[in-house]
Amino acid sequence: AGLELLSDQGYRIDGRRAGELRKIQARMGVFAQADGSAYIEQGNTKALAVVYGPHEIRGSRSRALPDRALVNCQYSSATFSTGERKRRPHGDRKSCEMGLQLRQTFEAAILTQLHPRSQIDIYVQVLQADGGTYAACVNAATLAVMDAGIPMRDFVCACSAGFVDGTALADLSHVEEAAGGPQLALALLPASGQIALLEMDSRLHEDHLEQVLEAAAQAARGVHTLLDLVVRQHVQEASVSLGD
Amino acid sequence: MLQKREKVLLLRTFQGRTLRIVREHYLRPSVPCNSPLCPQPAACRNDGKLLAAEVTHYVIPDWKVVQDYLEVLEFPELKGVIFMQTACQAVQHQRGRRQYNKLRNLLKDARHDCVLFANEFQQHCYLPREKGEAMEKWQTRSIYNSAVWYYHHCEDRMPIVMVTEDEEAIQKYGSETEGVFVISFKNYLDNFWPDLKAAHDLCDSILQSRRERETESQETHGKEYPEHLPLEVLEAGIKSGRYIQGILNVNKHRAQIEAFVRLHGASSKDSGLVSDILIHGSKARNRSIHGDVVVVEMLPKSEWKGRTAALGENDSDDKASGESPSEPMPTGRVVGILQKNWRDYVVTFPSKEEVQSQGKNAQKILVTPWDYRIPKIRISTQQAEALQDFRVVVRIDSWEATSVYPNGHFVRVLGRIGDLEGEIATILVENSISVVPFSEAQMCEMPVNTPENPWKVSPKEEQERKDLRTTHLVFSIDPKGCEDVDDTLSVRTLNNGNLELGVHIADVTHFVAPNSYIDVEARTRATTYYLADRRYDMLPSILSADLCSLLGGVDRYAVSVMWELDKTSYEIKKVWYGRTIIRSAYKLFYEAAQELLDGNFSIVDDIPELKALDKQSQQAKLEELVWAIGKLTDIARHIRAKRDRCGALELEGVEVRVQLDDKKNIRDLIPKQPLEVHETVAECMILANHWVAKKIWESFPHQALLRQHPPPHQEFFSELRECAKAKGFFIDTRSNKTLADSLDSANDPKDPLVNKLLRSMATQAMSNALYFSTGSCAEEEFHHYGLALDKYTHFTSPIRRYSDIVVHRLLMAAISKDKKMEIKENLFSNKNLEELCRHINNRNRAAQRSQKQSTELFQCMYFKDRDAETEERCIADGVIYSIRTNGVLVFIPRFGIKGAAYLKNKDSLVISCGPEGSSEWKPGSLQRSQNKIISTTAGGQSVTFHLFDHVTVRISVQASRCHSDTIRLEIVSNKPYMIPNTELCHQSSLLKSELVKEVTRSVEEAQLAQEVKGKVIQEEHQEYCQTKGRSLYTLLEEIRDLALLDVSDSCAM
Repeated sequence: AGLELLSDQGYRIDGRRAGELRKIQARMGVFAQADGSAYIEQGNTKALAVVYGPHEIRGSRSRALPDRALVNCQYSSATFSTGERKRRPHGDRKSCEMGLQLRQTFEAAILTQLHPRSQIDIYVQVLQADGGTYAACVNAATLAVMDAGIPMRDFVCACSAGFVDGTALADLSHVEEAAGGPQLALALLPASGQIALLEMDSRLHEDHLEQVLEAAAQAARGVHTLLDLVVRQHVQEASVSLGD
Repeated sequence: MLQKREKVLLLRTFQGRTLRIVREHYLRPSVPCNSPLCPQPAACRNDGKLLAAEVTHYVIPDWKVVQDYLEVLEFPELKGVIFMQTACQAVQHQRGRRQYNKLRNLLKDARHDCVLFANEFQQHCYLPREKGEAMEKWQTRSIYNSAVWYYHHCEDRMPIVMVTEDEEAIQKYGSETEGVFVISFKNYLDNFWPDLKAAHDLCDSILQSRRERETESQETHGKEYPEHLPLEVLEAGIKSGRYIQGILNVNKHRAQIEAFVRLHGASSKDSGLVSDILIHGSKARNRSIHGDVVVVEMLPKSEWKGRTAALGENDSDDKASGESPSEPMPTGRVVGILQKNWRDYVVTFPSKEEVQSQGKNAQKILVTPWDYRIPKIRISTQQAEALQDFRVVVRIDSWEATSVYPNGHFVRVLGRIGDLEGEIATILVENSISVVPFSEAQMCEMPVNTPENPWKVSPKEEQERKDLRTTHLVFSIDPKGCEDVDDTLSVRTLNNGNLELGVHIADVTHFVAPNSYIDVEARTRATTYYLADRRYDMLPSILSADLCSLLGGVDRYAVSVMWELDKTSYEIKKVWYGRTIIRSAYKLFYEAAQELLDGNFSIVDDIPELKALDKQSQQAKLEELVWAIGKLTDIARHIRAKRDRCGALELEGVEVRVQLDDKKNIRDLIPKQPLEVHETVAECMILANHWVAKKIWESFPHQALLRQHPPPHQEFFSELRECAKAKGFFIDTRSNKTLADSLDSANDPKDPLVNKLLRSMATQAMSNALYFSTGSCAEEEFHHYGLALDKYTHFTSPIRRYSDIVVHRLLMAAISKDKKMEIKENLFSNKNLEELCRHINNRNRAAQRSQKQSTELFQCMYFKDRDAETEERCIADGVIYSIRTNGVLVFIPRFGIKGAAYLKNKDSLVISCGPEGSSEWKPGSLQRSQNKIISTTAGGQSVTFHLFDHVTVRISVQASRCHSDTIRLEIVSNKPYMIPNTELCHQSSLLKSELVKEVTRSVEEAQLAQEVKGKVIQEEHQEYCQTKGRSLYTLLEEIRDLALLDVSDSCAM
């Protein structure tokens, strides 16, 4: 017997309605050594992002790009992040793919042409995985990049969405992801409405795509308001401590 | 706004390790309470159904009560029931999907006054489970806490009764809060519903059967059956291909031994199996019941068994194909049941003698279900003696591995055995047809039309609708005496010389609002049920016979489809769909219309609308009408020809006839003469259906309701080809066109019955036409094989088919979509529509089955009291249409009966026919070959029966206490039965209808004798008298009726 992901009354397993996000809490500037850092909790998904740069190219100089900065992303997830303990925290195929996706996302958002021949490192670590890890990583990294003071076009806000019984569900939890339905990950630049990255798992009829996309975008805009609040608060705290 | 909590679950994995799972749990300040007493309805967002306002208290069942007594809570008399989410989840997790779905449907059903309260998502109601607290205790605590909150939420204005089975809880909470009472369920029924006897009985019987089960599980005697495997193992096994999933289909004639598993979906492709899987014996069947979705493990090839082709005890149809008995087929055994298909069963208690022989435990009684395919059920009751002469409804509770038979409990009494009303009720229950009279709430929604307060066309509607009352000559053609006229026709010449053809259908959706009580009821019924002597309407008679019926001379709302046709080529130029107001000028009947068409005007006196007029205006009116009918026929011929040309077919007696028959009233007891007018009307309806199908599909490509008729499987035609070959005909079954052509040519001039039988076999090989939702099917599959149309739907009979109501709503939505107006109708999504289609298809099959069973019931009652030996009418002429190892299957055209006749009886004596045509039983042997069977006696005499031979048979009734009676046939002679010529025409007119009439009359007489008023509607019988003479058409229709049913029997599995 499969779980009832959406009850007749419109509740999901954890008590949310279809379009509601999980609780989001975030903090910027968690580490002093790094140029920028941030920590985010989306429900029970917890992620830590650290940014170094922009700095000179490390390693082989040949990787340097003449016209823009190189964005280097690394994703890892803690061995204790999932229900059953993982073997290796990074370097597996899934982590590599996630790293590439993050890179793609941030190349689209960071104004890389301002820093030619330099490198920006983004390290993301997932401490607890409960669905929507990609979204949590992007959101954490956005805050970290801002904390590092690297110019961006806009926030990048990400959120996942699924589709159950003709209804689009925003911000899937692990239980909902594991049920095996279609799942869409969207990274949005909210001000312009441009899409930085869109990814889809499993099949979905094209007629429903628009609906799911809209749900994800709506959720991403919701994430944006929250992140915006966090940034403003952080800036305020920072300016108070500077004594302005 | 939301508050986050965390729930920690400890699960055990397959490997036996414990897994700690943390789930989030969000609480909100308000969830819909669905109470009319709610102080802040806006905050609660009560938009669904509300509890009734006039109840004296609310009742909140504990989780255990919901699990065990859901059937009692289903009584519509129990009002103000609040199901807590905690209790629903307990049902979902511990009682399985079936029970949970029942609960869900109950909550959705507008007729039941119950709601769900999502207490676990409400911040004040949610209680986290404490460390070390038992699940059960927590559930009860949580439900009580929510009940208290609910009481305060309604500002203490409505007392709340929480019913629980937990004595401790009653002790603990009983007097904790004023206004919230905690009592036991039994106590509740006694105090609050002392008069609801049915509920008490049901409650007692559930209680008793549960007690039995408990004591039984303590006794540990040897297991009768192997245990079912756990669900995970089954699912993994199905995925890996080790097990096969399918639906269990018990052989009616050898219910003890033989069952087949029809493969389900993808598994058939993977395993490479074509045929069904045989399940041999009740051990291998392992407690699964007919219709269950089971998981099967294949046995090694060495253990495979063959099916039997011999005629069994009760063999009356010809389903088993002609395989020889020795040929082994894939055989398996059931290892688990995925979904139980238990429903209500009609059973008979054993008679007194049998009870005594059952002996030691008199309280547990084995009852025999009416349906052969269901095993005997063990019932615990003290009323066994009182119930022995009745048909009784029971439900199965459980079937433990330790018990040979399933345990059940008694639900209600239907009626006496052998009593007409009781038997009809049996047929209804067995087909899960529930036709309670329409309730008051439903009737309140109906418009009024009384002489004091006549119904009128409202001015608002007059503005919105196109008014055809003065501009168009609208008329209807129906069988005589028909009262639910749902279609009318019109034709006229436009100013530009083109023709305008119009089909106007009763606008039922105007009166039946979506999701109103009446709509819900109609949806559940899905169709009007026609039994042999009565019918159960889908809509109340105020609609079906009055306001929606397009009677002559009165204003009625209609939905119209109008085509502009080219004046000469009849090419369709334009089409218009919309709501209209019409006034039908004539309500013609078929015979009259045909007479007018043929230019025979003497019929005028039979047309009431013309009779009253003076000569001159009569003449003018008549000319107008005759022109319209003539034109209509001409157009219909053209359309028909075009359809034929498009690779279509002339497949007599398949869908065209069904269509025609379906079109108006399937009081199939009024078989129609094959007049051309029938065809004309049918063709116009097909055209309308086709165009509406196109329209709704274009507007709603993923949620339109259409009707498909898949092409038949070639393998099914093999029997037909074999039979035809016996007579020297060749049947080409490659396409519908060739099939129709070769059937036409397969005509034996000496015996017209041969052709009819071949056609009925062809019909049998066809798949059934089905409703479906366009979103769930590829476009190529929309095709309608029988009509050779790419898209088809049902639009023309909304009075008696729910599918047509859905199509009407779709069409209305499509029109407003075209006009860029907002769509008022709330349409079904693809998923819901698909579910609805399944329901309607299911109900249609039930309707057909019940119709067939009721016909058989009447046949049996007709022959029951006659002495087969002496009475002349029990002897009839029959045709052999199939050969088996120990007998033949015979069709008797005079009564439309199909049945088996044995050539070898129980004592292994075979039949032998003397030269003068008399027959007797003698020792000997039988020899069967492809198309003949030879019976040789020990003395050396032999008789040969060929396929399509005419024989004389004697009809008698085999009475049965527990099941329906059956007709038994006995071959009297191998010569055709000769009816004395003078009697021929008189005799042969005895059709099913006459038979029904006679039976009903005798029943009525019996009832009158007891001074009980016969409930059967007399007027219906007047109409049966109209049938005169036996036409081949009617004959074919009858064969088809039975044939189609046989097929549907197998499809229903």
